Amino acid sequence: MAEGGQEQQPSEDRERAMAAVDVFYLLRVRDQMKQQLLECSAVADADKAAVSHHAGKERPVQIAIEDYKKGIENEIVSFWTKTLALQRIQITAALRDKMKQNDNDSQLILEAVQDIVKLSEAIAAYQQQAREKEQKVADIQRQRLLLKKVGREKLKQIHDMMRKLKETQATGEVKTLEEMHTAYQKERKITSIIQNVLQCIIIGSRVNWAEDPSLKAVVLQLEKNI
Amino acid sequence: MAVFQPFDKLPVLNSATLLLVGSDRGLQQELAKAMLQEKKSFKISIHLATSLPLPSEGDHLRPRIDLIVFMIDVKTKYSLKNVEASLAHVAASFFLGKVCFLVTGVGRVNYCSVEMSSIWKLGEVYCSPVLYCELELERTRVATAQRLLRMLQICAGHVPGVSALTFNFMLRNSY
Repeated sequence: MAEGGQEQQPSEDRERAMAAVDVFYLLRVRDQMKQQLLECSAVADADKAAVSHHAGKERPVQIAIEDYKKGIENEIVSFWTKTLALQRIQITAALRDKMKQNDNDSQLILEAVQDIVKLSEAIAAYQQQAREKEQKVADIQRQRLLLKKVGREKLKQIHDMMRKLKETQATGEVKTLEEMHTAYQKERKITSIIQNVLQCIIIGSRVNWAEDPSLKAVVLQLEKNI
Repeated sequence: MAVFQPFDKLPVLNSATLLLVGSDRGLQQELAKAMLQEKKSFKISIHLATSLPLPSEGDHLRPRIDLIVFMIDVKTKYSLKNVEASLAHVAASFFLGKVCFLVTGVGRVNYCSVEMSSIWKLGEVYCSPVLYCELELERTRVATAQRLLRMLQICAGHVPGVSALTFNFMLRNSY
């Protein structure tokens, strides 16, 4: 509702305008006025046309009446508020005058005023306390919220840790299995090579291995593929 | 006075009046300062208001309002609501070119809490131009001030041969 009402008109602007009153300025202002007159007359014509158009109907009149009624109501309200403010001012002025007279009544008034001041001070103090308490409650709530957040994050971290641990375990088992498998393959290759070598040695030594049963068993053993 | 009319008072010689309506006081003041610092050949008075209607007490002191600028901040929904509530107190004939919407804070769309389509719609429904600007940057602020001054000059009838309505139509056709 508040209107700033700041009409910031630098005075130098006015001085310059005063200094610049010459033929061109006057011509410019004449043009401006012509334009403004044109606009105003256009609006006036339009309004006249609208009025003649609505001549038979009563609606615009009723609307206008409603507007004026509203205006009257507003005026009444503002008048009442103003009278109330004025009465308050008058009462305070009267009280002040009375207190200055310094007789019995004024003593009573003074006491009452002092009581009022004390009571309002107490009210202010209590309000302050209440505000502080509210502030504390808000702080505590904020801390609780913070703690909750932190707790949630911690839980999340723990979950992550567990998951990672499981994963590493699983991967470790797979790795050991693979290692074992490669070692086994290697050993198999080595044994097959040794078998071949032994076979070759026996055959190369030209010993009739079929006669000796133990040698025969060995050679036949070597034939087996592991 | 519930609504206020564009032609209920006579214009003052070689002067124009602008009414800035918006919820942010600081931005209004900055814009007003920027407009006053511009060079101009006529007297200008800028009225600041947070919402309409204006109090009827100072009504007889107020000069004729030539241009109403409604400032909408993209960052707060309240500003849009405020403007929408204020629009009800403006007479229909004001929308014949004497109203414009100024959308501020366009530089930070990340913090945008107002839907752009609703602002567009507002401009469409009220047949008024919508200007976008960022008032916290010096250069755009100055440019906006110049633009508004020019519009004000036209709306106050200082430019022969161009009325507010013609200008409005030209602006809308160029979109």
